[in-house]
Amino acid sequence: MSNVTDRESVPESPNPIGMDGIEFIEFTTSKPQALGGVLERMGFRPVARHRSREVELYRQGTMNVVVNSQPTDIPRTVVPVERPIISAIALRVRDADAAFRRALDLGAWEIPPRAQALELNIPGIHGVGESLIYFVDRYDEFSIFDIDFRAIPGVDPNPPAIADLNFFGIVQYVGLERTDDWTEFYVQLFGFTPIPDDVRFGIMPKGLLLQSPCRKFFLQLIEPDGAAQYAPMEEHLQRIGFGTPDVLAATAEFEKRGIEFVSTDKVHTSERGALTKAVLGGVMFELVHADPNSRMWRP
Amino acid sequence: MNFNDFGIDSASLAGSLENRLQAARKAGFSHVMISAADIVGHPVSTSAGVDAILKSGLRVTGLEALRDFEGLTGKMHEYKVDVAKSMLTLCHRIGGRLLLTEASASVHAMVDPDKIAADLRKLAFLALPMGIRIAFKGLSTSRTVKNFAQASEVVALANCPNLGVAIDAFDVISAEVPLDDLETVFAQQIYLVQLSDFMLQEVRSSEDEVSSASHFRVFPGEGAHSDQLSKFVLKLEEIGYFGDYSFDVYNSDYLQMPSEAIALRARRAADWLGETVLRRTLPVPNMERLRALRPC
Repeated sequence: MSNVTDRESVPESPNPIGMDGIEFIEFTTSKPQALGGVLERMGFRPVARHRSREVELYRQGTMNVVVNSQPTDIPRTVVPVERPIISAIALRVRDADAAFRRALDLGAWEIPPRAQALELNIPGIHGVGESLIYFVDRYDEFSIFDIDFRAIPGVDPNPPAIADLNFFGIVQYVGLERTDDWTEFYVQLFGFTPIPDDVRFGIMPKGLLLQSPCRKFFLQLIEPDGAAQYAPMEEHLQRIGFGTPDVLAATAEFEKRGIEFVSTDKVHTSERGALTKAVLGGVMFELVHADPNSRMWRP
Repeated sequence: MNFNDFGIDSASLAGSLENRLQAARKAGFSHVMISAADIVGHPVSTSAGVDAILKSGLRVTGLEALRDFEGLTGKMHEYKVDVAKSMLTLCHRIGGRLLLTEASASVHAMVDPDKIAADLRKLAFLALPMGIRIAFKGLSTSRTVKNFAQASEVVALANCPNLGVAIDAFDVISAEVPLDDLETVFAQQIYLVQLSDFMLQEVRSSEDEVSSASHFRVFPGEGAHSDQLSKFVLKLEEIGYFGDYSFDVYNSDYLQMPSEAIALRARRAADWLGETVLRRTLPVPNMERLRALRPC
């Protein structure tokens, strides 16, 4: 029997790679302890170390943040410097190999495998700037961290989240007139959907919001304005946004832990959201009011 | 429209890459179209070629040219994807934001428009993270995409935001394409316009065309088709094109002359186009003021 698509145009699934949220977000820095200190104040706990690389896993609730200080061995990837840089996102998908091959067919750039013996080879592609996008399909009964990482003894491997914090999204800075290009990238590769301008979350209203096909995650694309328009094109993952059902409770707790929030006429903490002051040369986090059960936009 | 809209192809000039860049700069050009062979053929190293461009003070109009990319399958397709990646990497290293891609003239290439569009879409996708645009150009020797109208159709079918067309004035004039055909192309979809004239009054045979295309082009205003060329440029302005113009003058005589002299000829061509041909599209400041002062 011939394939059904030979005779009829059958639209691809709105979730072509079976995306199901974020497995981890990775920072790269040459000063992992300094970033670790900031993450701990934000409620994360170090829970495991990579078996062969200088990589540490921090966790709170459902969120995994990986801190990488291993010198890079792949071109067009982040070289560890003092200022921490968001260097990778790992997407949970139905079938990592299928998602990876589909991406390559569409024209993504693969990264060469670099697993050591008996480690997992996590397929990945190049994303914006020097960042990478990984595909992970083992996240249910056991995870990639069970294989490639060694638990830190005596530490709770599943520390609870402050104020039910969870990954809400990532802000990506894009070049001038590059929003359409990057929208195409995320729509085609992963099935993201641009959402209307009047749907807004948090307190930072600029840019275009793209919703993941699993409705668990957002990307926010922001073009330069003012004098930045004339600077050379600079594109990167700028900050992580955390969702919480209670922004004010979360900020109160974080302030107790020594985290400072931006407080100006235009940007200040409210029930809708909050923005931490930049530390370590540019690391900031955004809090966004989001009810985990009904926060996402539906067409 | 001003002089800065015009750039020159490094392939139009003879000598070392450094000399050619310097000649272009001295003649007053602000951007230059680079041939990949200029960089990888640098006598010291590819990196030295890249450095020469980065230090030249010239903006890179684009890198040329990826050829015979689309319509292939299996190993040949994989091989061409590798070639494309290598050219995109080179383009990125020299700060280029455009890769000129010529329609396939390979007899092995499939002619199915959907396959061609899918391959171009993949190429545009490869270029996307680096901020590079793909300018696809029809070739008279291609079996499928012979001119800008067909290139534009394929680009529309591929539908990718960083995929557009390049138009070569030589192809339009030598094939006597009606200028009104330009109205079928969205101006925003035109990423590059290449300009040259040629000496033959008319192109009678395909041999004429090939020899003129590769040996006997001259700068705008120097050849037998100044009138058609000026109408061509005016038409582009009329439909709203505001991208780069590049002089792609392949002339074997010019390659035996000092690059400084050729760059100055290019400069004359830019002045001719800017001051003579496009004068009508420029607002004249004093006239504007007089018009405003005149009682209605």
